[in-house]
Amino acid sequence: MSDVEKLLELSEIKKSFGAVRALKGVSFELKAGEVHALLGENGAGKSTLIKVITGAHAPDSGTLTVAGQAVAALTPSKAQEWGIACIYQQPALFPDLSVSENIGLRLKKSAAFAKVDWGKQREVAAKLLERIGAEISPDAEVASLSMPEQQLVEIACALGSGARIVIMDEPTASLTQKEQHLLYAVVRDLRDSGVGVVYISHRLEEIFALADRVTVLRDGESVGTHPVGSLTEAQMIQLMVGREVSAIYPPAESAPGDVVLEMQSVSCAASGIADVSLTVRAGEILGMAGLVGAGRTELARILFGITPASSGSIRLEGKTISIGNPQDAIAQGIAYVPEDRRKHGVILDLPIAHNITMAIHRRIFPQHFLLKQAEQNLAVEMIRDLGIKAFGPEAPGGSLSGGNQQKVSVARWLATKPRLLILDEPTQGVDVGAKSEIHKIIRRLAKDGLAVLMISSDLPEVLGMSDRVAVMRGGRLVAMVDGKKAEAASIMAAALGHSHSDSEKGQEGTR
Amino acid sequence: MKKYSREWSVAAAFGLLMLSLLIVAPHFFQWQPLLSRVTSQMPAMVVALGVAMVIISRQIDISIGAQFSMCAVIAGLVAASGLPLGVAILAAIAAGALMGALNGLLVAYLGLPSIVVTLATMVTWQEALRLWQQGRLLNLPEGIQWFGQSQESGQAIVIGATALLLILLAWVMKNIAAGRAIYAVGSDAEAARLAGINPQRTTFGVFVSMGVLAALAAVMNLVQSPQIQPSCGDGMELKAIAAAVVGGIAIRGGRGTLWGVLPGLFLLANVNPALTHFHQPPYWEKAIQGLVIILAVVADGWNQKKQSNNG
Amino acid sequence: MSQPTNQPKWTALLAKHETVLLAVILVEILLFQNLGRNFLAESNVSNIFRHSVEIGLLALVMTPVILTGGIDLSLGSMMGLCAVVFGLLVKQYDVSPWLAAVAAISLGAFGGMGNAFLITRMNLPPLIVTLGTFSLFRGLAEALTKGSEAYSGFPQGFLNLGNANVLGLPAQLWVFFLVTLLVWLLVHRTVWGRSLQAIGFAPQGARYAGISVERNTGMAYILAGAIAGLAAVILVARLGEARANVGIGYELLAITAVVLGGTSIFGGSGSISGTLLGYVAIAILNNGLSRITAHQIFDQPVSSVARELSGMLTGLLLLLALAAGVLLKSLATRRARRQSLVTTTNPTPST
Repeated sequence: MSDVEKLLELSEIKKSFGAVRALKGVSFELKAGEVHALLGENGAGKSTLIKVITGAHAPDSGTLTVAGQAVAALTPSKAQEWGIACIYQQPALFPDLSVSENIGLRLKKSAAFAKVDWGKQREVAAKLLERIGAEISPDAEVASLSMPEQQLVEIACALGSGARIVIMDEPTASLTQKEQHLLYAVVRDLRDSGVGVVYISHRLEEIFALADRVTVLRDGESVGTHPVGSLTEAQMIQLMVGREVSAIYPPAESAPGDVVLEMQSVSCAASGIADVSLTVRAGEILGMAGLVGAGRTELARILFGITPASSGSIRLEGKTISIGNPQDAIAQGIAYVPEDRRKHGVILDLPIAHNITMAIHRRIFPQHFLLKQAEQNLAVEMIRDLGIKAFGPEAPGGSLSGGNQQKVSVARWLATKPRLLILDEPTQGVDVGAKSEIHKIIRRLAKDGLAVLMISSDLPEVLGMSDRVAVMRGGRLVAMVDGKKAEAASIMAAALGHSHSDSEKGQEGTR
Repeated sequence: MKKYSREWSVAAAFGLLMLSLLIVAPHFFQWQPLLSRVTSQMPAMVVALGVAMVIISRQIDISIGAQFSMCAVIAGLVAASGLPLGVAILAAIAAGALMGALNGLLVAYLGLPSIVVTLATMVTWQEALRLWQQGRLLNLPEGIQWFGQSQESGQAIVIGATALLLILLAWVMKNIAAGRAIYAVGSDAEAARLAGINPQRTTFGVFVSMGVLAALAAVMNLVQSPQIQPSCGDGMELKAIAAAVVGGIAIRGGRGTLWGVLPGLFLLANVNPALTHFHQPPYWEKAIQGLVIILAVVADGWNQKKQSNNG
Repeated sequence: MSQPTNQPKWTALLAKHETVLLAVILVEILLFQNLGRNFLAESNVSNIFRHSVEIGLLALVMTPVILTGGIDLSLGSMMGLCAVVFGLLVKQYDVSPWLAAVAAISLGAFGGMGNAFLITRMNLPPLIVTLGTFSLFRGLAEALTKGSEAYSGFPQGFLNLGNANVLGLPAQLWVFFLVTLLVWLLVHRTVWGRSLQAIGFAPQGARYAGISVERNTGMAYILAGAIAGLAAVILVARLGEARANVGIGYELLAITAVVLGGTSIFGGSGSISGTLLGYVAIAILNNGLSRITAHQIFDQPVSSVARELSGMLTGLLLLLALAAGVLLKSLATRRARRQSLVTTTNPTPST
């Protein structure tokens, strides 16, 4: 193996965003004809690493070598010239243009006044789509495609670019099973033709099935590269998590009380949620597991009135309620700490104090006039109470680290004195210290009698925190497990839609 | 064809207007006045083509009326000083390109919003021109009107040149990489960057082209009369933007074809003559034009909503 | 663990912006006092504001609109429509001027509601919506006056609003003070202003915090329309005449004053005090140039081309303010990035 050409070599790459250190000196290499899996929890630094490889982010320090040549100041277009192609989780396509033109624009950097050969462009696109087995018309406008279809177009682009290095960032997250198997075939095909594939996935079984080597990232650092065959799944998880799972989560202290939330066959056509029924009790943490795109965030959005339910009933403390918009939800005592902290959770330009009172304007300022003193008092109290590290209530949200921003987001919703608290990926992109503090806060809130619905893709977190675990797949609730009896293997199997025996081979020995 | 349904529906509306005119007021179609009317609408057509490109790239330019006036006066002064018409045209193009480049610089490279930048340049050019020319009518030398040809040939040149520009630009926008880059940047600038297109250079180029087209339009306006008014471009920006929007150029960028501008402009430009020929008071023109613009955006917004619901 | 905070720097920057404007105004005053005739005479100072208060009013209410990240190009046309309807009511239907004024203001609010509906409920871009109503409102005004009619001969009591002095100041200036106080309170002291800021910075973020983006944004356009109606009434009182073409280009001057005053055209940050200073700088420029008779430009005394010259300078000033704003910001972020690099290279102990 050692004389196989090294396509890509990164050493000691560092990258920070404001106060957040996303990469703390990562080294990584990719050989020709291998599938190299990149593994790590959410927020471990995988996405940042990819963006460094594709030239979308310039690293703060470290060196990047492509095909034996050191490359300084990589840009997306230079990366393309070097034969690096990437399939992002969020397709970067042109919604207003046709599929074949999207592929054409990606494949060929034509001179400004070159004529577009529509016939050939269409032919190339059709061939590529056929090769990956996608049933998409090359003439379709991208805006009319579904998300998985757009992802397939991305894959066709990467395939067609004749790239030597192909990066796939969770390519199967939103694909159907049939599409997944087509994709696996494409990946093997690429590998056999000497291409190096960087493959990112949360699905360990996929890594076992496809990858030759695996590099595990944890908290912005590389914790080792191993041949896939030399590791068991349990060892991989151990590398990712790096600690005894049960030890770091605060223990449950309270017995759940009365039912707070009761959903009965709730559906929402627009967001693909079908027939979900569940209850959450006071003092209970209901963990919600599932793959990205399984419909968990969409369910939270129904409860918070962003995309109201189209059928079914929602009862809060026994009373049937209708939630048409977020204002209704807040009035009913429902709080939602959203997944996308920077876009939805905290307004970065505004002071912490403004962020904290934002959802209780009517309550704290009953005459519509601002009462600065009351606001300050509340903010100071919250900052102390939740241990937010900031210079003071007037510091803008953007000056805080990710974990402290998340605490501000939680503080905003605690200020509403909710009955039901929905947390969506509460510790995503948060450093380890802040993570365990947030866990303690969640536990304390449950102890005080709050009903908590916690959505998380971080399986150890779900297992460590939840009194019960709900699993979603394809917009439906597919399993409900007692938290103490829940096992990673069975939850993963439910999320993937495999029967338990199917997945046992790969899951042996987990926990 | 479903793809061009928006363009066809505007064309149909225009056709309907013409048809009713044919029945109610057939003298609307008398050859000479009709030819003059069409010729007089050509400068606005050229400006509208430019602003359509600007809008497709997800920007806006409201300084085009002022650019138009400035180019007209510069060309007029050069011609009045005795230099040949060709030099006057080149001077106008240079001035237009420079003014467009300033807009492009501020929008593309400083990242300023095009609406405010072009608002500022519009005020600056407009007032500078007033200051300079004091609203004087500028007399043009003999050989300028209709390019020194007979009126018919002059009109034919203006209409022919505009048609040529329309065909050429529509073809470039459809078939040349640079044209597709404009659509790509307007559709998603970040995706364009990832695809190796330089959104800044593209935006800059679009604004410069806009300036050049404003200059060409000014020349086509110049040759139609023996005198030139320094305020000849006032309100041109609204006419052109309205024509583009009504013609199906989506204000959010990335969508629409230059062909749509043709029925869009003709529909709006004929509101006034149609009112006269229907024996209606002409002062409703602006209100009707405003209504048509609002209708067009509402229709586009509605379409978009329907599409995103489907998708 | 030390986090760099920009808070003190931010306020410093904002304060700096307003100090710069204040300095500009002082330079203007000194310049015109030296070059012009009787620039600082009491009657002239009154005149400065008497002749521009309508622009000040529009600038005040344009501020909340721009704070939401929107824009309203229809305000000048709205003035034309309100002026015409006012004249029509008084002259043709014998309505008392004060009642007609209320009607004009209501009409403005109603027109603003139309903008608000299209922008917030139909989710259309403010720029193109208000471009459409810009044409529509002016067109309606022209249609109502058959293109050229004007209404005049209003009762003296009403004309006093535009021409008389009250307590030594132009009557309309008192109205302006009142509106300033109102808008300042609304923007800086109420939940509404706070919400506008949140919407301007992050509309989705505001929505997820339970702020009604539609209602709060819509209110800004309605307020703008209503005050445009008021400005129209004041303008008619000063001119003694209601025509369809009043207020042409006023929206541009108002936007210029707002942006000059430091309100970000992208929404979120800005202040009423900045807008006021921006307006005063423009008003003084216009008036001061009209007092310079001893100097010439293009063979004309400056005073006779004051309108054009001040218009051009205002445009240039706006360009400069915009460019300076962006350059300062990129400088600040570069500095912040360097700073955060320094702090992050020190190993931070985790709790």
